[in-house]
Amino acid sequence: MSENTLESMENQLELFIENIRQIGIIVSDFQPQGQAVLNQKIQTLISDLQKIDKYRSKIEGISIPLAVCTDYIDQGRNPQLYTKDCIEKALYKNEETKGKIDMYRKFKANLLVELQQNFPHEINKYRSLEKFYNTKQE
Amino acid sequence: MDQQNCFSPKSSSPRRIIQDSSTGTLKTKISLGQKYPQIINSGPFYLVKEPPEKNKLTASTNMLQYYGLEHTYNKFNSKKVKEQLSSFLPTLPCVVDGPGVIDNSSLRSVIDKPPICGKELVSLSSLQLAGFRLHPNVPLPEKYRILNSTPTRKHKKKDKKHKYDNNIVQDVSASGDQPDIHSEKKHKKGKRHDDDKERKKRKKEKKRKKQSKHSPDHPSSISETP
Repeated sequence: MSENTLESMENQLELFIENIRQIGIIVSDFQPQGQAVLNQKIQTLISDLQKIDKYRSKIEGISIPLAVCTDYIDQGRNPQLYTKDCIEKALYKNEETKGKIDMYRKFKANLLVELQQNFPHEINKYRSLEKFYNTKQE
Repeated sequence: MDQQNCFSPKSSSPRRIIQDSSTGTLKTKISLGQKYPQIINSGPFYLVKEPPEKNKLTASTNMLQYYGLEHTYNKFNSKKVKEQLSSFLPTLPCVVDGPGVIDNSSLRSVIDKPPICGKELVSLSSLQLAGFRLHPNVPLPEKYRILNSTPTRKHKKKDKKHKYDNNIVQDVSASGDQPDIHSEKKHKKGKRHDDDKERKKRKKEKKRKKQSKHSPDHPSSISETP
């Protein structure tokens, strides 16, 4: 699935909607000579539906969160707000967790310094053990 | 030779020598019974277990940068995203900002009751098209009139903003209500302008009077003449 496929499908949908709008205008103020045009528009409607149906096989693997459909589009709200919220939340969580990781690193370093002063033998043992595990993981 | 150096596995007291050593050697046992040999710790840290494997990607890296979402973040963060759905779908001709439940056009209803798929779409024959024959001068039912209503879009222009401000000033001066600070300033300016005009008028009148006094046509000057 490419970007062009999505774009062409979008254009096709717009054409379909425009056709429906024109049908709406013809029907709301119907004139006898408009029947032929209406028939033609109905046929165009079907051919547009056929074209849209062909895109079904081309467009796969797009998953849309249910909240976007129910909480945003159905409520007349811009779905881009959902994307914005998600990105902002992700950034906030990223920063928060990074802060925690940094603090734990600092805490570990300070703890090791203090332990080194009070329990030098044990810390040496611990360090060599840590080194052993690190080389093993590598 | 020293006693410690001459230690052999057969010697009777190896424990004492290890306890005295200050090299910090680890006590580990290797079990060979299983498929792969396992190291069992028996040092002073009996609770220390093998640490979990380090993840390459953690929160200490900038995730947005890692996944290439910086552009998206800047796009949404730099400008204010409008609340209405119509700003996302500006090409749609009908009103889409209201809740979809009202006109039964919600996506939820499509999810709950999926449309019939799998049937081939075939063009209508002339006989089938006869079913769509309409009659003129028949008013459209109320619920279908929504289609005709087009959304009104506000076009903001900078020049109009200026006009709008002037209108506010005029309205405020006309209504006599308490104006806001911005319009009050303008109003004061206008007042000042009017005061200046009045002063100028008075000055002009005084000048005229003076001139007329000294002019020969003035009645007082006439009376003074013998």
